[in-house]
Amino acid sequence: MRKKNTAGFAWLIDLAGAALFAAGIAIAVTGAATSGLIEAEAVALILVGGLVRAVAVGLVHRLAITGAQRIAAARRLPVIRRLIGEPMAEPPSLGASAVLAIDHPQAIENYQARFMPSRFAASAAPLFVIAVTAFASLVAAGILLATFIPFILGMILAGTAARRASEEQLGAMGQLSGLFVDRVRGLGIIRHFRAEERVTRQVRGAANDLADRTVSVLRIAFLSSAVLEFFSALAVALVAVYCGFSLLGLLPFPNPEVLTLREAFFALAMAPEFYLPMRRLAAAYHEKQLGEAASDALDQLPEPLVRAPAEAAFTGIAANGARIDWPGRSIGPVSFALGRTGMIALTGPTGSGKTSLLAAIAGQVALTDGTITPVAPDNIAWAAQRPLILPGSLADNLALGRINATQDEIAEAIERVGLSPMLAARGAGLDLILDHRGSGLSGGERRRLGLARAILAGRSLTLADEPTADLDADSARDITALLIALARDHAVVVATHDPIVIEAAGEEVAL
Amino acid sequence: MNRELIDNAVRGRTATVLRQAFWYALLAGISSVLLLALSGWFLTAAAIAGAGGVAAVAAFNYLIPSAAIRGLAIVRTGSRYGERLLSHRAALTAMADWRGALFGKLAAQDSRTAPDLSGGDASARLIGDIEALEDLIVRRPTRPASLAAALFAVGLTILSGWMAALALALLLAALPFLLKHAATRWTREPAAEAADALGELRAAFVDAAAARPEIISYGIADRVAQRLEDLAARVDRANAALFRGEGHVAGLLIGYGTVAAAAVLLFAQSPAALIALGLLAATSSVEAMAAFARTAMRQASVEQGLARLALLTGLEGEPVRAEAKREAALPLAIGATRIVPGERIAITGASGSGKTRLIEALAGLRAPVHTLRLNDTPLAECSQTVLTGQFALSPQDAALLAGSIADNLRLARPGISEDQMRAALHIACLDTRVAAMPDGLDTLLGESGGILSGGERKRLSLARALLADRPWLLLDEPTEGLDAATEALLVTRLGEWLDATGTGVILVSHRQAPLALAARHIPIDGID
Repeated sequence: MRKKNTAGFAWLIDLAGAALFAAGIAIAVTGAATSGLIEAEAVALILVGGLVRAVAVGLVHRLAITGAQRIAAARRLPVIRRLIGEPMAEPPSLGASAVLAIDHPQAIENYQARFMPSRFAASAAPLFVIAVTAFASLVAAGILLATFIPFILGMILAGTAARRASEEQLGAMGQLSGLFVDRVRGLGIIRHFRAEERVTRQVRGAANDLADRTVSVLRIAFLSSAVLEFFSALAVALVAVYCGFSLLGLLPFPNPEVLTLREAFFALAMAPEFYLPMRRLAAAYHEKQLGEAASDALDQLPEPLVRAPAEAAFTGIAANGARIDWPGRSIGPVSFALGRTGMIALTGPTGSGKTSLLAAIAGQVALTDGTITPVAPDNIAWAAQRPLILPGSLADNLALGRINATQDEIAEAIERVGLSPMLAARGAGLDLILDHRGSGLSGGERRRLGLARAILAGRSLTLADEPTADLDADSARDITALLIALARDHAVVVATHDPIVIEAAGEEVAL
Repeated sequence: MNRELIDNAVRGRTATVLRQAFWYALLAGISSVLLLALSGWFLTAAAIAGAGGVAAVAAFNYLIPSAAIRGLAIVRTGSRYGERLLSHRAALTAMADWRGALFGKLAAQDSRTAPDLSGGDASARLIGDIEALEDLIVRRPTRPASLAAALFAVGLTILSGWMAALALALLLAALPFLLKHAATRWTREPAAEAADALGELRAAFVDAAAARPEIISYGIADRVAQRLEDLAARVDRANAALFRGEGHVAGLLIGYGTVAAAAVLLFAQSPAALIALGLLAATSSVEAMAAFARTAMRQASVEQGLARLALLTGLEGEPVRAEAKREAALPLAIGATRIVPGERIAITGASGSGKTRLIEALAGLRAPVHTLRLNDTPLAECSQTVLTGQFALSPQDAALLAGSIADNLRLARPGISEDQMRAALHIACLDTRVAAMPDGLDTLLGESGGILSGGERKRLSLARALLADRPWLLLDEPTEGLDAATEALLVTRLGEWLDATGTGVILVSHRQAPLALAARHIPIDGID
């Protein structure tokens, strides 16, 4: 048996405890009925049964979460790695990435921990209960089995309708939450336009609508749990009535077995256990839906892009009718050529796909059409619009560009991008500690850090993404001068819509 | 405070439904206890009668108990269904009322002092907190009903002997406290740790995903992934501890049921059939108390959420219907510079020097840090209503709402016609783009702008500000992301519109073209 079912097996230990408990109370009641005395062994059996059950439930949880986390972590690691660091034909948006890497593995963990052990228990435990009951009373076991068949039919009928209804409801709830969150985030602008009262009415109306619709959906959705509840109660009632009439000798048909009170009471005490695993399963049904949806979404994660083989030495780059087609947008086509040195500017309004085209030049996203000279990854430096900062010193962060850079080289890179005044103003040096939020670096300073990292990396081709966006004219001029200097002995491709940078570039490629 | 929050949420129409749900829950609890107890009694009594011979069997009334057992099975099913449906209906209507009321309270605040919920984390947490409250309302009828069912079980146990009943009563009375203590001990810390660790992981991951191209270029994916995996491992450890804690509480409850059964047996003094009755009543009474275990386990995470919600619902005020008429233009002073209505001013300065802050202060979004006066009154003393009557903002980040293009334009003021929308879009150079969309003005934008590019979003927000019909226009980088030709066209059209309407402008831009709209430039460094 595969490992993930060990927690399911522990549910069977729980059932063994239930059987001990049932035997204990059956013996106790029989003792009271025959001799008026309750045997100490019976009480001990009851308490041991309870102890076994308590330990088993703890064990189920312990095993379930360990297995579930092993499965979820195995799904999570490759997803994280791919989303942050592998070329993909079409990388998902930031929000979608966070859902894929964090929320979906969490949903899979919940599914594995809460649903899977119960699923195993729900298929194995009823057989166990029937087998144990059969030792006491074959007919009672037969009654349990007989309720099971209409139960399955009822679940198929009610369950299908209920599943559809609850999925619809999940979707609608999600929409309402979405509207609510969106309007809460937009409160500033809503108040600014004096639309408070109008938007409040809209939110209220949507919430009331949904509440009304959901109630009618729930009428159907709760039917499947009613079916479960009904058969669970019916099993107890039928076993009780059969056993009672059998003990009275009043059965309207010939009795195939001779029941004692002990056997009858044992069968009665086991009857609720027959449907208990299925009730647990039903309670975790929501986790199953979410977990399966999450698993499907992770299965559909695009494969990493296979890079075209590139020359080891960088000799220049050329694009020929390069075009990227994504659903709803088209980038390019563009053509250009750049040698070992010099700078070209990719221009176009925000959202026209400059960053995506830069990524295509770096071989990180796929072209739909046309060609771009493949460049070996270790020949490319990337100066990001919002560079990565890992918790650690400023020097460590720059050295992400080149692991073996010396302190002098790092200091020189910092000097070149004009970060020295900032360090001086803070009375700090290369050992300035940054947290992941950048420890109060402004957007412009962070941008310069990315540029310093690119310079330090000393790669032949530098790709710079909007190096001057949101900077004032003076800062933008400094950065532009730096790019011009860099382009004297390196190749530079800069994505920008800043006229100063465009003018500084030897060539403009418009998107 | 939390109790008050829930009480407020379930007033009015909800309270009636909740009362009905309680009666169903009570019926379900009692029939559950009675089904097992009566079955146990029936079996034992039948066995004794069967052993007593034909006369004893003939004297035994089997019809009523056997019919009652079957009837109880049906009653239990029906009442459980009713309880679930009604408690959910109560929660849904309560939450609908309550969401609306909460939103109204938030909307009625002054942006300058209101709690900031604009961040993704804050608003996502708000949704989580509200769902937790909804869950509490769903389970609200269950707790008193399970107490009542437990009491009923104690009553049945009296038939097994008063000592047995007393023992059961004591055990049941101690159970809620025991469960609460156990849940606090086993789940409180891991729950807090899990929430904290998850927040850290999320923030670190989003940073890393945003830096994808850089990570790939420098080949540092393993290092960054390792760091994220370490953070994720911390989340896993906390979640595992929490889950094991839930297991301990569940185990405690199940073990407690058998202790109750044993106690009833030890203290019972009645005939066997009545002992069987009390025995099974005791067992099912502990099961009925499971609702307390669930509540106790969620207590830790729910409490924090409710405390956050209570802070928000404690806010005063209700949104009032806004008047649509255009207000008379008031003169402005920025630092020492006086500005008369209709003037066009550019604020200049290096990035990070606070230009956006100044614009947002005028818009009433944030408290001012610069010396600003409206009609000779310091801005901080002007009410939000006065400010929003004077200024219409096109902010740096566009700030669009999910909905259609028309929805976003209509936000500006009530009663805007489609022709007015098209005219405003024309000035913003977005009319042909919108006309080319299959759904035109009704095109849905989706989350944060969706199908529109950054530059297009910006222009839609400009059109919205034009439609607001205020004496002053506040423009923060209005042409960011535009190509030179579109930018020139937009500046021309905007200039004509300003001339025609006599609207004043306070403008911030790094680009030359829009700066040409301004007659005067005020360096931000000169404002104290």
